[in-house]
Amino acid sequence: MPKYGMVIDLQKCVGCGACALACKTENNTQDRADGQTFNWADFLMKAEGKFPDAKFTVRPVLCNHCTNAPCVEACPVTPKAMFKTADGITMHSDARCIGCQNCQRACPYSTTDVEKDQAAYSVLSFNAHGGTVHPFYHDKTEVVPGCTSSGAEIAQKAGDTPPHRTLYKHPEYESVRRSGISEKCIFCEHRVKNGEKPNCVVACPASARVFGDQNDPNSEISQLLKKHKAVQLKNNKGDLLKAGEKGTQPNVYYIRSFSVRK
Amino acid sequence: MRIRRRDFLKAGAALGAVAATGMPTLNAFAAGSDQKAGGMGTEPGKWIASTCQGCTTWCPVEIFVQNGRAVKVKGNQYSKQNDGYVCPRGHMSLQQLYDPDRVKVPMKRTNPVKGRGVDPKFVPITWDEALNTVADKMMELRKNNESEKYMLLRGRYSYMRDVIYDVMTKVYGSPNNISHSSLCAEAENFGAYYTEGMWGYRDYDVSNSKYVVIWGCDPTNSNRLVPAMIKRFGDVLDTATVAVVDPRMQTTATKAQEWLPIIPGQDGALATALAHVILTEGLWSREFVGDFKDGKNLFKAGQTVDEAAFDEKETHGIVKWWNIELKDRTPDWAAKITGISKEQIIRVAKGMGKAAPHVVVWMGPGAAMHVRGGYSAMAVNALNGLLGSIDNVGGTLAGAKQAANSIPKLDKYLDEVAQKHGKMKKIDQRGTKALPSLNEGKSGGGSIANNVATAMLAKDPYDIKMAIGYMNNFTFSCTGAQRWEKAMEQLPFYVHITTNVSEMTQYADIVLPARITMFEKWAYVKQKQNRYAHVSLIQPVVEPMWDVRHDETEIPFLIAEKLKERGFSNLHECLVNEYKDPETGLPARTGEEFALYSVKYYTHPAWSEKGATMGDRINGWEDYRQRGVWNSNPYKYKSRWGGKFGKDEETDGKTTTKGTVSHKFEFYSETLKKALTGHAEKHKTDVDDILKACNYTAKGELAFVPHYEPPFRYGDEKEYPFTFIDYKSRLNREGRSQNSPWYYEFHKVDFGDESHEDMLQINPSDASKLGVKTGDMVKITTVTGSYMLKVKLWEGVRPGTVAKCYGQGHWAYGKVASKEFGKTPRGVNNNEIMPFDTERLSGANVRNGGFTGVKIEKA
Repeated sequence: MPKYGMVIDLQKCVGCGACALACKTENNTQDRADGQTFNWADFLMKAEGKFPDAKFTVRPVLCNHCTNAPCVEACPVTPKAMFKTADGITMHSDARCIGCQNCQRACPYSTTDVEKDQAAYSVLSFNAHGGTVHPFYHDKTEVVPGCTSSGAEIAQKAGDTPPHRTLYKHPEYESVRRSGISEKCIFCEHRVKNGEKPNCVVACPASARVFGDQNDPNSEISQLLKKHKAVQLKNNKGDLLKAGEKGTQPNVYYIRSFSVRK
Repeated sequence: MRIRRRDFLKAGAALGAVAATGMPTLNAFAAGSDQKAGGMGTEPGKWIASTCQGCTTWCPVEIFVQNGRAVKVKGNQYSKQNDGYVCPRGHMSLQQLYDPDRVKVPMKRTNPVKGRGVDPKFVPITWDEALNTVADKMMELRKNNESEKYMLLRGRYSYMRDVIYDVMTKVYGSPNNISHSSLCAEAENFGAYYTEGMWGYRDYDVSNSKYVVIWGCDPTNSNRLVPAMIKRFGDVLDTATVAVVDPRMQTTATKAQEWLPIIPGQDGALATALAHVILTEGLWSREFVGDFKDGKNLFKAGQTVDEAAFDEKETHGIVKWWNIELKDRTPDWAAKITGISKEQIIRVAKGMGKAAPHVVVWMGPGAAMHVRGGYSAMAVNALNGLLGSIDNVGGTLAGAKQAANSIPKLDKYLDEVAQKHGKMKKIDQRGTKALPSLNEGKSGGGSIANNVATAMLAKDPYDIKMAIGYMNNFTFSCTGAQRWEKAMEQLPFYVHITTNVSEMTQYADIVLPARITMFEKWAYVKQKQNRYAHVSLIQPVVEPMWDVRHDETEIPFLIAEKLKERGFSNLHECLVNEYKDPETGLPARTGEEFALYSVKYYTHPAWSEKGATMGDRINGWEDYRQRGVWNSNPYKYKSRWGGKFGKDEETDGKTTTKGTVSHKFEFYSETLKKALTGHAEKHKTDVDDILKACNYTAKGELAFVPHYEPPFRYGDEKEYPFTFIDYKSRLNREGRSQNSPWYYEFHKVDFGDESHEDMLQINPSDASKLGVKTGDMVKITTVTGSYMLKVKLWEGVRPGTVAKCYGQGHWAYGKVASKEFGKTPRGVNNNEIMPFDTERLSGANVRNGGFTGVKIEKA
């Protein structure tokens, strides 16, 4: 059985945002609203030092697909709506989710409200009960009446919401999630199961993201983990797990430094 | 919506079919993943090639189309430049195609009053009414013998620009086709032309480089060659030393070994000091520059050298440059005015020298677009000459030839009116005494786009009565933007070809909705990077969303038809005769056919035998549509060595030189001497007087060598103690992505900025003196006015400077871009903060070099 994980090479990463945008185009996530980011891929920024010795680090973040996943533990549904697949992916069942947000509260990388908590990001986002998904494409305002379009019209004309919706099928999750359930990165399992890499990986112009099987000693990810000292995130504040500290056993690793400046 | 099923079907036979309703549906050959794994996977779709125009990298891309909708973007797998990757801009393009605020139909203004915040009261009209109105106005000007008062304003373009920009304007009979080019870069090209004889962007062989100097740009972020640079940069940090010269810690500087946070505008001082060290330390390239006859280095600080003592090889004037300028440009001297320590200057110069010739000195707009930036651009580029990196492995390169046709000859279509009025003075005042604009050595050789507003307001050389603009928004994108508002208010008739109701559209009388590039349009672009040139196709990958037309080809054709109906048929004849389908020889019968045939005309060499001799072999038009890109063979190193930096050409018994006059790489620019002398003679004066008129301080021989000029600044340092730094968001698809929600969501990838904000970055030491912290409002004042901004404390800006990202501040464009559409801006437009000025020798718009003084008050 594979054990999927990801290595992000910070020396290669330039913090450009392509991964997060490619994720939005693949998974059709909606715009940030009411303390929910809906960014399955996001960034942690860290500034240190003083001019001219200032330092800046960008760390791309996503679901860590923890081996010991508290979100799974916290899910009250039987069988669980949040569960681990045999390949190590932390999977979410849209159908079984009851929208209790326990997963958001349990995950050390998530929060129920990024604004209130002033959190840099949240792995899990929640589609509000009874809310409109993608309200941007339901808005009927025309800035020049009769001459310019509206969000609702363009979605209707294009034939889907969002109009750039990538259609895919998966037995557990929809390509656009309904209101009243949580959502997060699922390592693009609909792609992975067809031999493709997650879209953030194929879209990274720096090839900084390496996805693969940690159980295969010959995989690129295993090789990189052998060659470099890797670190893992402890929470969504940017703290890292200390040597020997297991935390939730995240399967997303960071190697090398964003800056090579001494 | 008009159904153009036949054309779409014909053009798209191999790529995607459409249903009878005009909406594309899946075609039988469409291949996505086949959902083999337990019923999961991507539903069927098709990758179709096109080109991203989010910046001037002009990436060949592929777009995934499902059910006739564009859903995902990636780099073109055939591209030898971007290796199949795009930067964030590529993905953002989807929100431009599906922008809720796009113009759906032609519109006309019903409120005659024009002004910022004044509702034009646009109403929808038919294409017929719109085009009739435009043609009537054009005919009226010709009838009144004042066709020069028609002006064509070009913003971003594809190479189909020839039709609307050159052919239509010239055959109609106006000299006023005005390009935006000088807004962002001409001073850079000036620096390259008057050293290496190339008016154009350089290419950089970073993968083979040992030392990479990034100067006044941020290529992992913006400028050009973005994905190619992102792809290579992580490895380059292992194989080369990277030094970044920029007053702001931008992306590339954040990652690099060396950051040289130069005081804005002092680039010439740093460049000449680096040159000084390279020479005194004996680190110049012997192979390229040559050596002292007796092998002993006579370059000693403060001492002149006998020219006869040096044997020069591929270059011209090294000793003259030393004697006139460099001998006193010591690191001690430079350290005092650049803010860079003497130690760092010496360390970087030695590092460059030791790595020579495998050195890239990547000159960007920050090194050049100053009031007095022409000479600093020359100085920075001259470093490539000193190090022998020009056209060398791991160095700075010119580009391979592109397989594309050029514009047909127009002579026989120019009637008396066109001949006479087409030769009149251009509205931008190029070539006048204080605006030499010496593009390729010619007085008045290049456009000075941002001076047009000033000239329009002054009605000098005459008044403009009608303008057509396309893919431009000068009321937003030009510094001193307030002048454009005034100029547009008094322009009697303006036609805007656009996708969105932009600031400039607010002044339009007629609005013609355009097909969006990359997704809906036939066109092509040429570019070079990573040693390969490309000819990349832009093609419709989906049915146009609305009743929109091709800006550069179809609309001129439709106007030509209307002019023909009114008795002036030359333009129509020209388009029909000169742009036949190269496959069938058939002339275009409709505007849409013309859009297709004309792109086939231009790209024909790329998909025929000619292209195969220069690069990729592509088997005909359908093959080209599938691949989307033609790549050249790699650029040959040292192509211009051996005296090929300039070439004499004889035409009608007259010798003209293209490139450098000496045919060598020039440290003493005979080419600039000739150009400046020619311009001075034209105005019956001398070069010293011209330089004075152009706001330069140099006199005598200094005018002909790269040299230091003290920066010119608006606002004295007492009243305006801070210096403003403008930089570009990496999410800017030039000026066209600010109506995209993703733009604001990920603004934090512009280092030092915060998402959903438009902030002024200030060093914490300055902030504490002012008593402000992150999130506080300040009032900033420059010579143009006062503006309210939130501050962000950021150690990535030098104390005494403040930086702000360009992109926000729209008061129109759409409901996301503006706070209140048509009235209130979202954020502040840097082009209102910065005043208008021109680097006069090149005609370049000034944006950099610390020319804007800022006063900051806690609000």
